[in-house]
Amino acid sequence: MRTNTFKKVWGMPLLLAILTLFGLLAALLGTGVWYGLAWLALLVPLAIIVWKAGAR
Amino acid sequence: MSTLKSIKRWFWWHRWSSLICTLFLLMLCLTGLPLIFGEEIEGWLNPTHYENLPKEMPKANLDQMVNIAKARYPKQYISYVFVDDDEPQVLVNMAPSHNPVDPLRHALQFDSRTGKLLKDEPPADKMPATFIGIMFDLHRAMFLDLPGELFLGLMGILFVISIISGVVLYGPFMKKLDFGTVRNGRSKRLKWLDLHNLLGIATAVWLFVVGATGVINELSTPLFGIWQITDVKTMLAKFQGSPVAKQDELSSLQAAYNTAQKAVPGMAITSIVFPGYPFGSPYHYLLWAKGNTPLTSQLFNPVLVDAPSGKLTMVMKMPVYLRALELSRPLHFGNYGGVPLKIIWVLFDVVAIVVLISGVYLWIVRRKFYEAYFNSLGNED
Repeated sequence: MRTNTFKKVWGMPLLLAILTLFGLLAALLGTGVWYGLAWLALLVPLAIIVWKAGAR
Repeated sequence: MSTLKSIKRWFWWHRWSSLICTLFLLMLCLTGLPLIFGEEIEGWLNPTHYENLPKEMPKANLDQMVNIAKARYPKQYISYVFVDDDEPQVLVNMAPSHNPVDPLRHALQFDSRTGKLLKDEPPADKMPATFIGIMFDLHRAMFLDLPGELFLGLMGILFVISIISGVVLYGPFMKKLDFGTVRNGRSKRLKWLDLHNLLGIATAVWLFVVGATGVINELSTPLFGIWQITDVKTMLAKFQGSPVAKQDELSSLQAAYNTAQKAVPGMAITSIVFPGYPFGSPYHYLLWAKGNTPLTSQLFNPVLVDAPSGKLTMVMKMPVYLRALELSRPLHFGNYGGVPLKIIWVLFDVVAIVVLISGVYLWIVRRKFYEAYFNSLGNED
């Protein structure tokens, strides 16, 4: 019961947190393809916001 | 967690840290927006038109530029010389005194390839204000220099506390709701509570990183000050008793530059601080060199060249706290990942503004709303 609630509440936030951290660091430490990956990773939280906030 | 008492305590921290800092954070987010593209905007508003010359053309001799500068202002000191690696310019900064914020300090702009004087800028107190300059002074210190920097640093700390407490509160508030639920019914307050929580949790890491690095950046003056009175002082103690290098008895700047470059091959020397300037050494040229990978281009190493003789003294090591400061800059500005990263920064900044304003709205309409809501959360165990 407890773990299910934890996953439900924190699953997405943790995923978004990891993607954000990855994006921020990838662009700092790498170049080339890492830039592209960083941009994609950072766009995910923004896209989720648009999707959920825009849903009717 | 999630006893009613615990929720209320975290909520108290969240409410008060947020309320106190929100106005200032809104100012920071709004002034931050144009600053993200600050260099580009300045480039449109105040461009320098450089001669079109082949890229491989060798750079002009720095001594030539120093001599032109000294001929124009024989009674002034050279504070530092900036060698730009983005544009083909060299800036020779001069002032009538050694005061780093002398109102009469000014710069002479040279073409780095021909050594020609492009512009003899007016003194600091006569320089026309630029839009980006104003945004930057507002953002960094509200025009109040060090006290302003420290005050905004404190607001940044409150912001970080507000983010952490906000994340903690997300748990109990979302126990019975699917992720991303925005209750769009009759209650505007409920809708905005859901939006505030969704936008806040989705961007929490970015808010935290930009907030925390903002705080560290506001501490640059004290951090550099600590370095000056510890490592630098210790290093300079060895030279106690040597004559202070007088500006008309200095060895060639170009030679010092070349000597330093040999000591740090592969790095780019971006500025040379002259003896006499407070953020340097009384006996040396202090040359700042940065690396050539995305990460090391943010990390600078100081090279000391004995000013009267031109001999290499040492390459200094930077302490951990200054390395942290150096890394806080790109992570705060978002300027290290090309234009797409800057656009992403703008988008997150806009989300931050919505989080801040919705937070204020929720506080304004708090009253009966929260009492009932809290009790329902507390009863759900």
